[in-house]
Amino acid sequence: MSNRAYNIYTVIVVSILFLSISLACLFSPEKDYSESERRALAGFPSVSLQTLANGQFMNEFTDYSLDQFPLRDGFRRIKAVSQYNVFRFRDNNGIYISDGHAAKIVYPLKDDSVINAADKFGKIYDMYLSENDNKIVASVVPDKGYFLGEKSGYLSMDYNKLENIFADNMPFAEYVSIYETLSIEDYYCTDTHWRQDRILDTALRIADALDVDINEEYTIKEATDEFFGVYYSQSALPLEPDRINYVTSDSIEGAAVYNYENGSTGGVYNFDKLQSKDPYEFFLSGACALMTIDSPSSDNDKNLVIFRDSYASSIIPYFIGAYSKITLVDTRYIEPSLLSEYVDFSNCDVLFLYSTMVLNESSVLR
Amino acid sequence: MLFSSVPFLFYFLPAVMIVYFAVPDKFKNAVLLVFSLVFYAWGEPKYVFLMLFSIVSGYIFGLLIEKYRGKQASGIFLVISVIISLGVLCYFKYADFFISNINRVTFISIPLLRITLPIGISFYIFQIISYNIDVYRKCVPACKNIVNFGAYVALFPQLIAGPIVRFKDINIDLVSRKHKLDMAAVGIARFCTGLGKKVLIANSFGQLCEIFKVSGEKSVLFYWIYAVSFTLQIYYDFSGYSDMAIGLGSIFGFHFPENFNYPYISKNITEFWRRWHISLSSWFRDYVYIPLGGNRVSRKRWILNVCVVWMLTGFWHGAGWQFIMWGALYAVLLIIEKMFAGKFFARIPSFVSHVYVMFFVIIGFVLFNSDGIGGAFYDITAMFGARGLPVITAETVYYLKSFFVMFIIGIIGSTPLIKYISDRLRNGRMRKAYALLYPLILCLIVVLVTAYLVDGSFNPFLYFRF
Repeated sequence: MSNRAYNIYTVIVVSILFLSISLACLFSPEKDYSESERRALAGFPSVSLQTLANGQFMNEFTDYSLDQFPLRDGFRRIKAVSQYNVFRFRDNNGIYISDGHAAKIVYPLKDDSVINAADKFGKIYDMYLSENDNKIVASVVPDKGYFLGEKSGYLSMDYNKLENIFADNMPFAEYVSIYETLSIEDYYCTDTHWRQDRILDTALRIADALDVDINEEYTIKEATDEFFGVYYSQSALPLEPDRINYVTSDSIEGAAVYNYENGSTGGVYNFDKLQSKDPYEFFLSGACALMTIDSPSSDNDKNLVIFRDSYASSIIPYFIGAYSKITLVDTRYIEPSLLSEYVDFSNCDVLFLYSTMVLNESSVLR
Repeated sequence: MLFSSVPFLFYFLPAVMIVYFAVPDKFKNAVLLVFSLVFYAWGEPKYVFLMLFSIVSGYIFGLLIEKYRGKQASGIFLVISVIISLGVLCYFKYADFFISNINRVTFISIPLLRITLPIGISFYIFQIISYNIDVYRKCVPACKNIVNFGAYVALFPQLIAGPIVRFKDINIDLVSRKHKLDMAAVGIARFCTGLGKKVLIANSFGQLCEIFKVSGEKSVLFYWIYAVSFTLQIYYDFSGYSDMAIGLGSIFGFHFPENFNYPYISKNITEFWRRWHISLSSWFRDYVYIPLGGNRVSRKRWILNVCVVWMLTGFWHGAGWQFIMWGALYAVLLIIEKMFAGKFFARIPSFVSHVYVMFFVIIGFVLFNSDGIGGAFYDITAMFGARGLPVITAETVYYLKSFFVMFIIGIIGSTPLIKYISDRLRNGRMRKAYALLYPLILCLIVVLVTAYLVDGSFNPFLYFRF
């Protein structure tokens, strides 16, 4: 190849690449929402003398150009693959793959955050529970890093220390450890959550502490075999989809779930959510500040109030047969001082069930 | 606007290329000027007026200096032009530094101005100063065409991060440059390489430096990892940007001076500064050091000259004592080398002299990147175990392993080895395969860079569900 031919070839090949991407940027249809990030995408910014003069247009256009970039998820995958396979980084955006599981580095242990969470729960105790003779149980759900981190050489916080700090700062509750009832196989490969069909032992451990019997005839059914969890999109790597199985029983099927946020009543499982942005919302319809589960088939009048995060959504169905009414409170979305208007704390068991991830970032709690 | 951004790469750059090559030659400088002002306005719109003022000021004083050449007025106009340029620089870059130091010494409390630093001001002000001095020295004729002069000052490829291009370097290009295919091909290759250096390598080391800064588990080894990371980050960041500037200049038919020449292979500090930010060190040599008398003065005066030049060099990099001390460190090293150690370095093994250079370069960059003299003292003493930190922690080991390949790439890439291999392939038996593959490798770099830029916008709601 002559020098001239080489130069022509270089200029044409690289120019075509730049022009192709530019044209794709200009003419790709706009998207409103990113499924992988679960957020609205920036639209084309408004142009005015004011927005040009103060730089707002430029800042918003930069966001727009990135959010609306053609084949955005494909480019993110290229980055993730090169990050792992070419540059041999151990994680990509804090997400790593180990034993076929995508997991997030939760590190370091933030002692102050765990104490802060316990203090907030202590205030709830002072407000509503100290005058009553409630059975109060607390437990911590380990994230996948507990099983994968240290073993695979990833940064892994001291999970036992977290448990100890939490238990020591919750003197009003009986702490029950569930770590030993779980293994990595009990979690979805592509998601942060545990699998409902695999955590009966964990539910039994908690039920034992609450002194209730949750043994009944459960049937496992498949909801979907195409579940791509939150880490699938965050890792941007090709991973096999998970299967969502769910357990059902007479009491679960007969239960009615009331959502205080939208005033709707429905079942324990919301099949419409399997087609939503987050299929894990199949369990109890996802995140909600306050909801109740009424169980007409329950043969007692016991109530349970559970302060919880999203992990509880899939374990709570196991308790439906043991309580006539279960109230689920998520204090990330509701101020605890408002609860007196909605929740009767007399004559009820209370469970605080939170994941290590929330306890380690407890500023999200109110 | 940054070169390493989607708006630049896929909106601005194609637009300027299409318009630039579509218009007749006589309009090309006007196109460059207009697009350069848009490029500048993208980052800080209001400072476009400051740039226009600087252009007009530099242009008029250039004409006046030439008009009154040989008369006293010429020198007066030069002094006024330099005072205006330095005044602008001092006001926008150094005002708060001076105020805070006056406050500290006099125990009064003059309120700080808190002025946002105009992007690239240190570069274009130095270009204007060098132009007016060169006109005064008769090195170049005054530029009669304000569009050409505006294009010289505001030329977007070198506007933000250099190299500091002197008017005499591109005077002929501004008036009658030729757009050659070989220059375009070389420019494209240079631009893509620089883009890769900046986004793929420098940003990765930058990420490690950020991890270090927020880490609650610092160790002695982590401090050293940080120090080496920043040393590599600043090299790839700055030299990558210079590569992009030189490459773009080449595409537009300009011949910009080289700015970096593998500085980390230097065997003494004198050599290091011949290879690092060449356009800045040569600027200070020609417009400060030599006018002060250079080395043709008494030894005491020479030491003073060296100290002044290098402290100013440090001060140019930022309004903080750590930058001045950084410059002073090099002044001391250069004086020692010149006075005592020149022959010594010629005799010792090159490995040892290389270790000596890199030791002080790394220490220097820790000082450079600190948040003040106190912070620098803490960082440097921590590197030598004087802060009671553990030698190593789990976090240190993790990030050392995670960035290991990047360190290898970074260290090898800072030597001429890649260029050597590339040249051998280009001229050897595999030259046909090389010619075929090299443009594709450039495309691969662009795709990878794009992927990294796009992923940088990935912003999931971390607390969405759990």
